[in-house]
Amino acid sequence: MSAARPPAGANAPSGGSALHAVSKRGGPISLLICALGGEGGGVLTEWLVETARHAGYPAQATSIPGVAQRTGATTYYLEVFPVPLAQLGDRRPVFSLTPVPGTLDALVSSELLETARQIGNGMASPDRTLVITSSARTLTTQERMQLGDGRAEPADLLKLLGRFARAHQVFDMNTLAREAGTVVSAVMLGAIAGSGLFPFRREDYEAVVQAGGKSAEASLRGFARAYERVAQGRTQADYLAQVLAPADAPQSPRGAPPAAADPFPEPVRGMFGLGYARLVDYQGTAYAELYAGRLRQVLAAEREADPQGAHGFAVTKEMARWLALWMAFDDIVRVADLKSRASRSARVQREVKPGVHDLLKVYDHFKPGVPEFAALLPAPLAGRLTAWDRRRVARGKASWALPLKVATHSVLGMAALRTLARMKWLRPRGSRYAIEQAMIGQWLEGVVQGTRRAWELGHEIALCGRLIKGYGSTNERGKENLLHVLEHLARGGVAPEAAQAIRAAREAALADDAGKALDAALVQHGAPPRPVKAVPVRWVRKPRGLAADDESRLKAP
Amino acid sequence: MEVSFGKEIESLRLGAGDTFHGEGILAITKALLQSGVAYVGGYQGAPVSHLLDVMVQARPYLDELGVHVEACSNEASAAAMLGASIHYPLRGAVTWKSIVGTNVAADALSNLSSPGVTGGALIVVGEDYGEGASVIQERTHAFALKSSMCLLDPRPDLAVMARMVEEGFRLSEASNMPAILELRIRACHVRGSFPARDNVAPGISTRALLENPAAFDYMRLAHPPVTFRHEKLKGEQRIPAARSYILENQLNELFAGRHEDLGILVQGGLYNALVRSLQQLGLADAFGATEIPLLVLNVTYPLVPEQVADFCAGKRAVLVVEEGQPEFIEQEIATLLRRRDLQTKLHGKDLLPAAGEYTVEVLSAGLARFAESHLPGAATEDTRRWLAANDERRQAVAAALDKPLPARPPGFCIGCPERPVFSALKLAQQQIGNVHIAADIGCHAFGTFEPFSMGHSILGYGMSLASRAGVSPMMQRRTLAIMGDGGFWHNGLLTGVQSALFNGDDAVLLIFKNGYTSATGTQEILSTPGEDAKSQAADKGRSLAHTNQTIEAALKGLGVQWLRTVHTYEVETMRATLIEAFTSGFEGLKVIVAEGECQLERQRRLKPWLASLLQKGERVVRVKYGVDEDVCNGDHACIRLSGCPTLTLKDNPDPLKVDPVATVIDGCVGCGLCGANAHAATLCPSFYRAEVVQNPRWHERLVHSFRSAIVRALQPA
Repeated sequence: MSAARPPAGANAPSGGSALHAVSKRGGPISLLICALGGEGGGVLTEWLVETARHAGYPAQATSIPGVAQRTGATTYYLEVFPVPLAQLGDRRPVFSLTPVPGTLDALVSSELLETARQIGNGMASPDRTLVITSSARTLTTQERMQLGDGRAEPADLLKLLGRFARAHQVFDMNTLAREAGTVVSAVMLGAIAGSGLFPFRREDYEAVVQAGGKSAEASLRGFARAYERVAQGRTQADYLAQVLAPADAPQSPRGAPPAAADPFPEPVRGMFGLGYARLVDYQGTAYAELYAGRLRQVLAAEREADPQGAHGFAVTKEMARWLALWMAFDDIVRVADLKSRASRSARVQREVKPGVHDLLKVYDHFKPGVPEFAALLPAPLAGRLTAWDRRRVARGKASWALPLKVATHSVLGMAALRTLARMKWLRPRGSRYAIEQAMIGQWLEGVVQGTRRAWELGHEIALCGRLIKGYGSTNERGKENLLHVLEHLARGGVAPEAAQAIRAAREAALADDAGKALDAALVQHGAPPRPVKAVPVRWVRKPRGLAADDESRLKAP
Repeated sequence: MEVSFGKEIESLRLGAGDTFHGEGILAITKALLQSGVAYVGGYQGAPVSHLLDVMVQARPYLDELGVHVEACSNEASAAAMLGASIHYPLRGAVTWKSIVGTNVAADALSNLSSPGVTGGALIVVGEDYGEGASVIQERTHAFALKSSMCLLDPRPDLAVMARMVEEGFRLSEASNMPAILELRIRACHVRGSFPARDNVAPGISTRALLENPAAFDYMRLAHPPVTFRHEKLKGEQRIPAARSYILENQLNELFAGRHEDLGILVQGGLYNALVRSLQQLGLADAFGATEIPLLVLNVTYPLVPEQVADFCAGKRAVLVVEEGQPEFIEQEIATLLRRRDLQTKLHGKDLLPAAGEYTVEVLSAGLARFAESHLPGAATEDTRRWLAANDERRQAVAAALDKPLPARPPGFCIGCPERPVFSALKLAQQQIGNVHIAADIGCHAFGTFEPFSMGHSILGYGMSLASRAGVSPMMQRRTLAIMGDGGFWHNGLLTGVQSALFNGDDAVLLIFKNGYTSATGTQEILSTPGEDAKSQAADKGRSLAHTNQTIEAALKGLGVQWLRTVHTYEVETMRATLIEAFTSGFEGLKVIVAEGECQLERQRRLKPWLASLLQKGERVVRVKYGVDEDVCNGDHACIRLSGCPTLTLKDNPDPLKVDPVATVIDGCVGCGLCGANAHAATLCPSFYRAEVVQNPRWHERLVHSFRSAIVRALQPA
């Protein structure tokens, strides 16, 4: 038996001790593999079984692929008996088909959340299990579909490794696979081999992969890189440092005039510089000065509420962010401008990765509607246009909009975008500008008044700037939510309670786009729910239905 | 199907002296040929799909042996196929996923079991139970009991599994009973090896045809009055014959142990889990040498009373390890013990849970209680500590996380043609209100998951239209039934369409015509695009679903008057068509055929074709979608309307903004849904479509260089 180990892999720091534990128990070495459907977990399992055969050890693997082949999470389970067949005579070990929680020797996973899931299932144990996981995340639909940021926090997931694994190795398997021009299953095989978990030689693994045909070379490259990385234990240190490091502070403003930044305390200056630059780019210096002036009002209020700056001027800093974003509201002029810059072309090149001799064509999808055009028209004209569209909708038609697919790589397409981008001068004369400025004024006033009442209250109102984003109905919904919260929660009651209520309402508003959670939060804090809006939904009754008066019941919101 | 099983087919040819290496279900496939099977049929479904897939692809070799293979249209037709073994000494095997497939096959199985079989009839079922299962959790055992079929549940060791196939045929012939061989999910996918034997060419086969039909014999019909006689035969002759065969050939295995006054009776399929549990308790070694005697039931029906009684006699207590409910085996043993007046204490579901998979951990908890009661001084403390530590860790992880980890159910593939229909349906419902959606089995059932979360009921494969028959008369608004073409041919055409037409129902049916039964592994069906359509297509990446009009012809033939066909990627048209169906003055059955070929099949065709074009230096256009990060509003409405795995999130590169932006990652196949949704739903203007022209023609290159020069001049930094 001793001839079988330690494994031939020269440097196998963690694997060696795992094997000692196994040898004392006299049972098989067990490995649970977590992968997503389509990642080649089946091939990986086959490689491992073949490697065991090649090395002359009894092994068994099984899996539960089912429909998980369609991008769902799945697992593969493998057991290897650490005594060569040659020494076993007629005896054959009995292997388990299900992983046994707490008795795993290793857990290897291509995705960090799936690693955490299996740890949560109790699979890993701190006295036995080596966990090798990719730091890469493939976000679940649940995480991706949220309005704000629904992503699980990688630092939280990583913390589990330290607590519930005997040893762990973390590295980005996807990136390594991409760099080696192969698939993640080859990288996982290299990681398993490099850990020294099994009493196989590196050549055993490589011989099996080699037999795989035309993609073998790329697989072996990925295998080798993961092998060396894991065998030398240089995996998690760099990654953990990166994840657990504090986020970079905003860069110093490029070319923000010192005169404008001067009145602001140091913690605000970075954000202010970014905001100021954004607005110069958006509309010009005068508009940026309007921004600076508005922000000075907030600063004055915050100095009253917190003269020592004990909170690091967080209200002003947050307002520097959200005010700039609101003032630089997106409209067709802005979109045309952003889409027609050279920097944008370069970014598309990077993302699409055309070859040196390839041609790249880019088509942009736009669908401007009545509100987008009305935004740039003076109020009376805009009103007439909007009224026309409303009549259309009332007649049962869809709101008017113009679906466009603009060839941005063509002369005509680019010329059209640049022409639109040069319409900045029209913006302040348009109806939307006036409306936005009025609303910004209301919010600004709310922040200033709120800050004067209590610092926390002002801070919470400032953070509500997060509710404003996007285009069309998304943008309008955000503004309505913010103003409703401002009107009903910011003024009354005791300041700390109001602050708490606003925080709850803000978080609720980001929970679902129908606003159910927001209404519930509003009611819970004594405010009325948002007024029910007339939505142009066509209820359609079956021709052979009930009498018309019965139908009215169904129309209730 | 375009997946190739070349390697697997090779291993079917192995003979004596060779060792077979591979998956459990393929070992079963090989064992069928070793048993001299004459005909094979079935209906695909995980975990037994490969049996049929490999057999279908191995047709040339099976022709050499004279074995007939039939890809049946559903499980009922597969079960009926076994009728060949009633009169003729033909060994036949069929396969499907159980319990659902057995339900569909039940009628034929009853009518097969009543007259009984002459040639061995074996039904290989994938017992889709426990982790990884996709169907209702019920036991096949009940069918074996009610129709008097033998039920084999082999120990998941490839050699035993292969042997039980051969024994299954012999058992079936010895008893005239059809036999079911049940394999759990992990047993189907277990990788191991066994010593192969030569394949046996059947005596009567497609190469050695029967000369004459059998003589008329009323006893072979499932028709009164002989059905009364059949019922008596089951109890008087067949089951006793089966019992003697089981006993004489030692199909069940006895493992002795030093605690002779105790014993465990276990379903063969659970043997490995039980042995690992015994190891955890220190009651067995790595090679399965056990301290408590085991009776391993490779045949779980019929039980052999004398074998069970002999095993129990003289023991203080026995434990029956039987997965699922109700505990048929335990109840039968209880009756047996009572009748023989044996005082052996009987344990089973009193120590083990009624429901759920018997994993090692679950079994260990029950075994620990068994050992504590009956093995004084048993060292169960370690086991207790281990089990408690598992629970503590689970709680500790849950406590360490702010919120539960998001689930990751399966979903539509990248580029799946079914996703756009759910986008359109979501948009249509925003316009005309929500409708009752009768969902069905198939890939489209992924529409019940986020971000769509649509579907009120699933009543069975192809049953959606039938399942709304009671809902639609009770509802003001029309209902929608969704069905795949797999479900349509399996059952829906008859149970749904025919019934709705006959009753003049006001209903809307949407059929996903993707050309294959895709969730089970893209097997071909009647509406699969023909080989000539595939070879003649100039653009190999194009959907070819429209080239096969069998579904439309069938619907018209039945008398469907309102029929629309929409290409699934036309989200706007699909939305308009759905709204038209829900609001039309036409009161009969309205059918929308959502046409778009399964992208897995399309990609399998497309990839080698593109590679060959590139190699030849020919022009190829690659499409990828993208999101402009500075235009994206971070609201993720596009994701709520798509859910495509390649449309995901990344940190916002704008230091002023906090919410992550949408991004399209590598792997995007350029299906066009992002663009179609952006237009149909008026999403934010951040999406772009990039077309990369590889090997462009010289004049294209020329135009492009002029054009780029001007475009660059127009662009600011």
